[in-house]
Amino acid sequence: MTRVIRIIKESFRMVRNNRLRGFIMILGIAIGVTSLAMTVCVSVGVYENVMETVNKQGPDLIQVRPGTDKFNSPAAGSREAVSLRDEDYEAILQHIGNIDSISPVKDRKEIEVKYEDKNTHTRIFGVNPIWGRVRDFNAIRGSFITDEDVASAARVCVIGQIVKKNLFGDADPIGQTIQIMDVPFTVKGELESKGTSSEGRDRDDRIITPFTTYNMRVFRDSPLSQIVIKVKDIDKLYKTVEDVQAVLREQHKIETGEPDDFTMRTPQDLIDMAYGTSRSLIKVLTIIAVITLLVAGIVIMNIMLTSVSARKSEIGIRRALGARKNDILNQFMIECIILSLMGGILGTILGYCGAIILSNLDVSASNLTPLALAAAIVSCCLIAVVFGIYPARKAANQNPVDILRG
Amino acid sequence: MIKIKDIEKTYSKNSVETKVLRGVTFSVQRGEYVAIMGASGSGKSTLMNIIGCLDRPTKGQYELDNINVLQLDDDAISALRNKKFGFVFQQFFLLERTNALDNVLLPLIYTDEYPADAIQQARKLLVNVGLGDRIEYFANELSGGQQQRVAIARSLINNPDVIIADEPTGNLDSESAAEIMKIFSRLHEERRTIIIVTHDRDVAGNAQRILELKDGQIKG
Repeated sequence: MTRVIRIIKESFRMVRNNRLRGFIMILGIAIGVTSLAMTVCVSVGVYENVMETVNKQGPDLIQVRPGTDKFNSPAAGSREAVSLRDEDYEAILQHIGNIDSISPVKDRKEIEVKYEDKNTHTRIFGVNPIWGRVRDFNAIRGSFITDEDVASAARVCVIGQIVKKNLFGDADPIGQTIQIMDVPFTVKGELESKGTSSEGRDRDDRIITPFTTYNMRVFRDSPLSQIVIKVKDIDKLYKTVEDVQAVLREQHKIETGEPDDFTMRTPQDLIDMAYGTSRSLIKVLTIIAVITLLVAGIVIMNIMLTSVSARKSEIGIRRALGARKNDILNQFMIECIILSLMGGILGTILGYCGAIILSNLDVSASNLTPLALAAAIVSCCLIAVVFGIYPARKAANQNPVDILRG
Repeated sequence: MIKIKDIEKTYSKNSVETKVLRGVTFSVQRGEYVAIMGASGSGKSTLMNIIGCLDRPTKGQYELDNINVLQLDDDAISALRNKKFGFVFQQFFLLERTNALDNVLLPLIYTDEYPADAIQQARKLLVNVGLGDRIEYFANELSGGQQQRVAIARSLINNPDVIIADEPTGNLDSESAAEIMKIFSRLHEERRTIIIVTHDRDVAGNAQRILELKDGQIKG
């Protein structure tokens, strides 16, 4: 049994011998680590959420919308602006090389749709298949529109669950023919239910048609509501963004220095958007974690200092019996680290519980990840060392004679 | 084995200097049983602390087994205390909430040669001082005499060259004191070197040789 092991054993024994001190220290650390673990769980959870959104939509995606999102620019309020047209789409196709696939998007609200004697009003989309993948609209029955449908301008459509209910009730819609603006379309699929979007739009009340069909057979010459571009070479994503921007500015004859009359959105914008309110929550949590960890450190220092003066005679005895200064220092540091780690483990568990509560309150929080655990353990040891070293040094540097005489 | 020459010790407090030891010279042979006697304030505890390497003299020379003690650094001095000395104090100085066995084992935490049979050795020492039935008792559950016997067992665990006892009977009733002195006499018979510091002439009478300390100097 080496000296270090004997001192570690002795430290454990002294921790058992000073239960009240230990309890207070564990509590102090636990509170600090709880907030830290919660912060990590929430941060990781939000990050995972964001990344899931980005990855689902594609990290290689550029979206172009008409008008501008920016409030203070001259084009403010022109969100419905008719600034994207078929010619713009064609110009992009012609000039931009780094495109894997692309979908122009058109849509119109409140369109009358009929099936036999029933009718309903819904929103009609004209898109390419890539749009369904990007927006995560999939057919749960039948199939989504295909490239062939687009190429042949087939009169086929995929309907949302609300449309299905309104027109077909419980009957099977697949293969049936419905009238959209008196043009007959064959239903080839049902969309999976998506519920309401964050903007309050019912995402089940819609019909998806091939872009070419929409454009040629239903609404000629209507403006584009969006262009979705999936780039081929992701490394050139931002170069492609610039190129598309240049093409559109050229198309729209926008003078240098004038603002765009369209808005481009990249994965980075998506990340920024997806973080949204979570970002400020993470900031607040981080600040709380730092403060509570600091308080925990002060608690440690205070209790350790009290402990050092309460255990003066113990230190003197050990020194008289042959303990070197470093042996005393090590003993006090090990005791401090033991208690901090115990507090850390307790705090991690509490923090995990806290994160679960938060996730029930609609904040995305991850499970107890190795990262959260590692962060808790590392921070505990760090706090123990930073705030424990001064009291431990004070203990070690006492003169044995002074202690024994006192 | 102990050679002390012209030891002086001066304490300064609030810039007032007090000379406690004024040139103490003596030596102790291996196996000797020496008592250092003196009234309170004569500097006998200071001298004991210096012999036991708990304190350093202001001036003088100290050789222990031909080692110049005063040249050693703090770690070496700590190791020396651990290896060469066994301490018995007036206030016992056991660890509370620690049983007799662990108290006896305490010096072995800091040794470089931890014996494989440490626990058996400690038990044997406790049996030898008559505490075979108190091995698991906490220090604070023992009487004064019993605590001092634990302290003696502790002072022997590292098989020291010198046992240093500072008023070992000072806090004990006469019956316990007599038992403690009997143990010291027995240790002397086992050829151990013992230095005992006391103001009590009866206690000092057990020793082979008495050094009287007066006004910071050895008398006679």
